[in-house]
Amino acid sequence: MANVNWRTINIDALDPDSPANFDLSTLAPSVTPVATADVQSLASQIRQLLRGGDNEGALRGALENPPCGADDKGKEVHLATVIEILQSIRQSEMSPLLNRIYSSPGGPEALDVLMKYISYKGMGQTSTSNPTRNITPQPTGFSQIHPRGATEGGGQAMSVLLSWHEKLVEIAGPGSIVRVMTDRRTV
Amino acid sequence: MAPPEVHHLFHHPIADHSFSADRQTLAVARENTVDLFKRNGNKFQLTDELTGHDKTVTGVDIAPRSGKIVTCSQDRNAYVWEPSADGWKPTLVLLRINRAATCVRWAPSETKFAVGSGARLIPVCYFEEEDNWWVSKHLKKPIRSTITTVAWHPNSVLLAAGSTDGHARVLSSFIKGVDERPEPSAWGERLPFNTVCGEFLNNTAGWIHSVAFSPSGNALAFAAHDSSLTVVYPSAPEQPPRAVINISTQLLPFMSLVWRSEDEIIAAGYDCQAYRLQGSEHGWQLAGSLETKGRPGAQGHREESALNMFRQMDLKGKATDDTKLDTIHQNTITNIRAFEEAGGKVTKISSSGVDGRVVVWTL
Repeated sequence: MANVNWRTINIDALDPDSPANFDLSTLAPSVTPVATADVQSLASQIRQLLRGGDNEGALRGALENPPCGADDKGKEVHLATVIEILQSIRQSEMSPLLNRIYSSPGGPEALDVLMKYISYKGMGQTSTSNPTRNITPQPTGFSQIHPRGATEGGGQAMSVLLSWHEKLVEIAGPGSIVRVMTDRRTV
Repeated sequence: MAPPEVHHLFHHPIADHSFSADRQTLAVARENTVDLFKRNGNKFQLTDELTGHDKTVTGVDIAPRSGKIVTCSQDRNAYVWEPSADGWKPTLVLLRINRAATCVRWAPSETKFAVGSGARLIPVCYFEEEDNWWVSKHLKKPIRSTITTVAWHPNSVLLAAGSTDGHARVLSSFIKGVDERPEPSAWGERLPFNTVCGEFLNNTAGWIHSVAFSPSGNALAFAAHDSSLTVVYPSAPEQPPRAVINISTQLLPFMSLVWRSEDEIIAAGYDCQAYRLQGSEHGWQLAGSLETKGRPGAQGHREESALNMFRQMDLKGKATDDTKLDTIHQNTITNIRAFEEAGGKVTKISSSGVDGRVVVWTL
């Protein structure tokens, strides 16, 4: 017994009441699993709305069905869809559109979901230099005026997200940021 | 409406505060001690210090009738302080916890009190006459994380507890020989110790900062770190609740709440001001701040001369002084309590915060 290093004993394994020994999923709200194929079909429906000029309908559709229960692939697909919608809406339309969503039933929740996509999913994604994403031309028609390589493409997407973030905080308040940080249902 | 009464006691955070029943004595948890203040005119003067804890005191509560003070601390101990001829006499309470105590509240019957702790359990403490000793019984199941807040039902048997696992729970703390058998209510009929009468999770599962029963005990409100407040109306024992109303606000999270009456809640927290919420079973909404906007004379237009403006710009690089918040509390409000009641309604509340102020508000 003398040469046992007490500090390396995993005491949690020996204690039946230890927090390491219970199912952590009971602490989180339940989410229904979503298949990646469903996310993709939703994405194509939303793209159709977008092509038809119905920006608000597209955004609403994307925010009302967040794939919290999907795997990483499904979440990636939906993130790309939301970013695409955000980039196709002009800056002057942002505030009135957010106002309309906020005052409609279920609106505050939809804006909380939007906040999740802007900060910190969207910003987190564009800041990690993802070469394949930055080299492809932006589908929004943003002209690449800075021919300085990959990081600038991320900067473009970031500026769109930042202006959305500003408009969104004006309407949904700091409460929505706190909710994003608190919420265990990640998008 | 009378202006709020502001007492700036010291420049330290106040973890918890409690007034005696006559509202002449104020106990404030300050670092490792509890400071006792006596009202002198319209000011509070430091009269006594309760020293004994060797880590930060996290909770203090004065029993309204017996005048006993219970304190708990991060040193994992609780003391019951009784007035005697030569000052306050502490009695150590055997909590049997291996993590910090986080909060403490006397039951309305004053025969027992509950302590929240980081050890994922709630010691319910009562006085054993034979041994002349405060002993505790542990509420354990199904708590999964630190208890941040406890609140008593008026019948002194049901206890609400909020936890960092995102659940607000209603538990029975019935102790044979101490409690009388409670009247059956919507929460439950037979209530042996550690019966779980309700377990509630809000949408985001954010951790709970504050819980409170309504004055009748037939509704439970809890505030969580997702800036929301949830009110639960139970229907019958073992049945899903009649209504669960969740209001997510645009504000920063609430740290503390009190029911003013069955249809009004006052909540305060990281926004440094208290808010009024009104509603019923059919819905709740935010009804504004207690803070009167643009208080005259508070900051006012002192001197708007060009000379002063340029002097300010020279000294500070700006013309207006914006180092003060325009709320009365200058930092997070951590705790609010009922101060005065009349006609079944709370008419005054007291609040304390990180800024070392205790404020009495007229509602």
